[in-house]
Formats: sequence, structure tokens, C-alpha cells
Amino acid sequence: MGPKSILKSPAVPSDAVDARKPPVNEQHLQVALQHANIIQDQKNVEQEILNATLELLEFPPDSKADPARPSPSDAHKFKTLVMPFQPNDYDALIEERNCADLCGYALCPRPRKKVPSASKLHFVDSRDRGVQIVPKKVLEVWCSDDCARRALYVKVQLNEEPAWMRRTGGGHEIEVLVENAETLEFALPLRLKSKKEVQQGELKDGDGEDIAAAWALADEALAELSQERGDKDSNIRTELIKAKIEERTNFKTPSAPSAETTASSAHMAIEGHIPRTDAKKTKDVDDDDDENDWDD
Amino acid sequence: MDSDRSNSAAMIRMWRIYRTAKEMCMDRGYQMLEEDINISLSEFVDRFGKEGELEPDRSRMGFSAKPTEAMLIKYTDPPTPKVPNPQPQIGEIWIDFSGDENVGLKQLRDFMQHLVSTSYYSGILVTPKPITGMALRLLRGSTQFEDGPRGGVETFEEQHLLVNITKHELVPKHVLLSKEEKAQLLERYRLKETQLPRIQVTDPVAKYLGLRRGQVVKIIRRSETAGRYASYRWAI
Ligand SMILES: [Zn+2]
Repeated sequence: MGPKSILKSPAVPSDAVDARKPPVNEQHLQVALQHANIIQDQKNVEQEILNATLELLEFPPDSKADPARPSPSDAHKFKTLVMPFQPNDYDALIEERNCADLCGYALCPRPRKKVPSASKLHFVDSRDRGVQIVPKKVLEVWCSDDCARRALYVKVQLNEEPAWMRRTGGGHEIEVLVENAETLEFALPLRLKSKKEVQQGELKDGDGEDIAAAWALADEALAELSQERGDKDSNIRTELIKAKIEERTNFKTPSAPSAETTASSAHMAIEGHIPRTDAKKTKDVDDDDDENDWDD
Repeated sequence: MDSDRSNSAAMIRMWRIYRTAKEMCMDRGYQMLEEDINISLSEFVDRFGKEGELEPDRSRMGFSAKPTEAMLIKYTDPPTPKVPNPQPQIGEIWIDFSGDENVGLKQLRDFMQHLVSTSYYSGILVTPKPITGMALRLLRGSTQFEDGPRGGVETFEEQHLLVNITKHELVPKHVLLSKEEKAQLLERYRLKETQLPRIQVTDPVAKYLGLRRGQVVKIIRRSETAGRYASYRWAI
């Protein structure tokens, strides 16, 4: 084709205008395709969550694993699998584990608690909330209150948005609750399950030693702290809390605030702060004035 | 003692459920002895009762059933040049009664694995309560589930088998058409299957007959004016 004319062509054929947009049928096709893709994404995520639930159904593989200190590999697997979950998927996982008679928390290998009595409602005396009536079903979800807390800690981190609608893809990293919580959980690497794991080469040997050393130091520090606080030694505790009440006697007699003093120094304030040296000088002068005023 | 057990509501309930399950198998076309279906309450208690308990032992109630000759024919596709000797898409079925109050993924997966290891074609699990949502999800995808049996798995809640719904006078007779009969029907009326009225596979009668997607049932009604008339529905 030759160079395009810069002049308007006198008669634009009506087809040419439509040619810029894709034909109507193609638009419909694209819309349909888009919807089909969304549905496919949704199905894929549902399948992924089902598979994850099947895998976490009888987790962890080691029946002696400690939910308070999960092995790094178990914790990693749990965190990865649970990432696409919405909170209700997580509830479903807990339900499934309960059906299998396991504690609802997926990093706990213990059986769930069984309340021996057949009645559907129970009285529970908890320290912070007093006596409550709780359905038997609720009591039998976990092996212990600790696991309930650990499981909830994960649940609140889950994304409410379905995984196929998340712009970031799968989801963000989930943290699990490990023992001696606040100070340790973020600062310390997860405690090793056993020395065997180090030997099996799941981690590099150096890493394993580092982790063990870090935990040893932390344990030491915690022991010192509890000594200081007197958590264990009852003698120290009695010294910290005195049974005898002493009244404070050296009170100053209250004096009425003087409006003048505050008012006079107010003009010196720089953003509410009165520079000290200046304040003293002015105060002396003001005091004199005050006395004079009173005499008058 | 014995009369106490047979009088227990739980025992009578399970006896009725057991009988409906057997009737259902017979209505689907499996081989079933008349005396098996008409098992008396006292015999049921003798066979499945537990010493000193009001509930029967569900784990002993499971049974299997083989398809009749007629059922095998109905479930065999007409031969084509490509497949000159088509195999029937049906086989021996195993019906199990879950002793677990709550049936979830674990129980369903165990059931599927049991069916595969004992090479049953398909299975039905009767559960005391509705199965969990996740188990339902597994069930829906069970045709692609590599661990499941070829013919799939169905579940029934006990309470839905308490009464045989097909025996109700207002429920017309439903008869499954073979692939060949379906083709003849569509040809005679010059229809596509999508033009037929539909029945959902989750419909109680469709579920009772174990209808699969794509199958067509003939529904025969009695009418005071027309005697009997038939209509057809396509299962979706
Ligand atoms: Zn636990």
C-alpha cells in the first residue's frame, strides 16, 4: 500500500467503523470465556482445598508431635496447605478432623476431648468468664484449651476473600502459635522435632545447631526472668508484696492556683512550652507585682 | 429381654430402613430374594441385635447385591463398529450402614477404599446424619477420584429410607430406559434429548433409582380419563 492520505477520505464505508470493534459475536464469546475461566478457577480452588483437607485430615504424621512446638517441616506444610482457605473452609477442616476423632487443630495428633456424660449441655467454670453453659459438641472439638487458642490464632489470619478472587494469588504467609508465645514466636526459629531430623538432612547441620543453640539461650533467659520475677521462689515473692499498709503523710497543703502567674508566662510559650530561664526571670518580676497589687 | 429389644423404637426404625434399602436394590434391578426383603422384625433383631443394647449393630447389616440379567442388558450400550462387545456399566454393589454418627471425609474415603479393595462396582453408604460439606464435595467429584470405585458412591440418610417413597400412591411408576430405548424414543418423536422435560438426579425418586446424568426415565401415571399415560424425563 502507498502512503496514507492525510486528507479525510470523502466517503467512509460504513463497514470500516464497525471493523475497529470486534464483532458482537466475538464480544459475547469473550464474555462467555471470561465467565468460564472464573468458574474453572473456582473449581480448581475448591479441588485444591479438598485435597488440602484430605491431607490435613490425619495430620501430623508423627503421633507424638507436640502442637506447641511443631517440627519445622510439619509447620511449613500446614501453613502452605492452609493458605488458600477461607475461614469457613478452615471450620470444615476442624469438623472433618473431629469426625476422625482428632483434635481440631491440624498440628495436633491427639484425640479430641470426650465428655463422658450424654447430656447435650454442660456447665463450664472458666477463670475469666465465670460459669457458662456450653454445648457438649463445642467442648469436644479440641484436646485442650491451648489447642483451641492455637487453632483460632490461625483462623483469624485467613483471608475472607475466596482464593480465586484474590489479586495476590494464593494468599499471604500464615503464622502458627508456638509455645512461650509473644517473645519467641517471631524471633525464634521453630524448635526442632528431634536430633534425628538434623541427621536425616532435612536441614543443613549448621542450621540445626544454630536453632538448637537459639532455643537453649532462650530457655536460659526465660529461667532467669522467672527467677527475677519470683515465679518459682516463694521467698522472693513475699518480699515484693508487703502486707503492711503505710500511709503517705508528707502532703503539701494545697494552694489555690494563681491565674496571674500562668497568664503572665503564657505569652512566652512557644507551642505550649515555656523556656525555663526566661520563665524564672519573669516569674520573679511578676511575684513582686503581685504583692504590690495585693497591697493596693 | 428379647421383647424389650424388639420393641425399642431404634430397632424398629433400623428394621424399616434395612427393608427399604433392600427394596431399593430390587427396584433398581439387582437380584434380591423375596424372603430377604420381607425379613420380620424378630428375625432382624436376632441377626443384628446386640446383647443388652437398644440399637442394632450397624456394622453387621451391610450386604451386597448382583445385577440381574435384565439390569445388565439395560446398562449395556448398543454395540458400535468401534466397540463391538460393550461391557455393562453396572456390577455388584455393596450397601453399608455407618456406625459413626458423624460421617465426614475420613469415613467416606475409607468406604471408597474398601469398595476398591474388595472390587465392588459401586457402593451405597447409609448414614445416621447428613454427611459433611467436604464429604459431599468429595462425592461430587468421586467419578474422577482415582481411589473410588468405577460405578461411584452414593450416600443416603437413614431418615430418608424410613419410608419407601415409591410405594406412595401419588408417586407414579418410574422406569429407566436403556440407551437403545432412549435412542428409539428420540428418533420416533424427532427430538433432541435436551428438548425433553428434565428430572434432577437429586430428586428423591431419581436418587432412589440411582439415575445417572443423561439417562431417561419413563414415568407412568394412572389417569381417570385416559387410563394410563406415559411421559419421559431426562436426568440432569
Ligand atoms: Zn490438640
